[in-house]
Amino acid sequence: MSGPAAPAGPRAAGAGEPAPAVFAALADPTRWRLLGTLAAQGEGTATTLAAQLPVSRPAVVKHLVVLDRAGLVDRRRSGREVRYRVRPERLDATARQMAAVAAAWDRRLAAIKRMAEG
Amino acid sequence: MAEDQIEREVRIDAPIERVWALVTEPEHVGAWFGDAGAEIELRPGGDFKLSWVEHGTVHGRVEQVEPPHRFAYRWLIAGPAEPTPANSTLVEFTLRADGDGTLLRVVESGFAGLEVDGGDAERDRRREDNVGGWRIELDELVAYARQWAVR
Repeated sequence: MSGPAAPAGPRAAGAGEPAPAVFAALADPTRWRLLGTLAAQGEGTATTLAAQLPVSRPAVVKHLVVLDRAGLVDRRRSGREVRYRVRPERLDATARQMAAVAAAWDRRLAAIKRMAEG
Repeated sequence: MAEDQIEREVRIDAPIERVWALVTEPEHVGAWFGDAGAEIELRPGGDFKLSWVEHGTVHGRVEQVEPPHRFAYRWLIAGPAEPTPANSTLVEFTLRADGDGTLLRVVESGFAGLEVDGGDAERDRRREDNVGGWRIELDELVAYARQWAVR
């Protein structure tokens, strides 16, 4: 999770490329809804989330594991329950990386413009 | 709203043919994109290689060539390999004449399809889910999540 992409080597590891694990975790429509539901209410358990979504509790658990692995949620045990919460840092980092990719294209287009008009 | 694609456009005060040459000819691409040369076989399926002194070579494949309006290629996240939606993103240039000048638009897409490692059943299923064109409303979700994080 470095800052903006270096002007050279945009494909190099750590050079601001969006994290595939995060995109992969977000790519599933059910997980996307799950994350949205969790974000909207701050916290939830597999049971409360399954009650709000057209998905079984075991399926919710499976999706939460994927989101947890991608660092998009954190979990804490509370008695017999596991409570989940969205971790905004990781989403934030991904949004910043996309902004870095956009900035890299802006630089390249500006260079083409200079060369074309020069 | 952030999506799994990046779109950028610039107006250039030069004729479309000149811009087309800058976007597609290796000696120019090697100057505004890489810094250690480029090799582009300008035909669909052709090789695309872009080199940097510091970072080595990025490989890809030309997907579309319609002079002087459309040029598209896939470029790989790592190493030379057969480009697929799992290991590469798609870069599409569109050129349009605008008076004496040219509107140059670039779209890089497919970040959501990238995979960290090999496929499995879950990922295959996910790829099918994605066909309809999934978009990330990332900013919205970040704002949402933040609102709770401060409590």
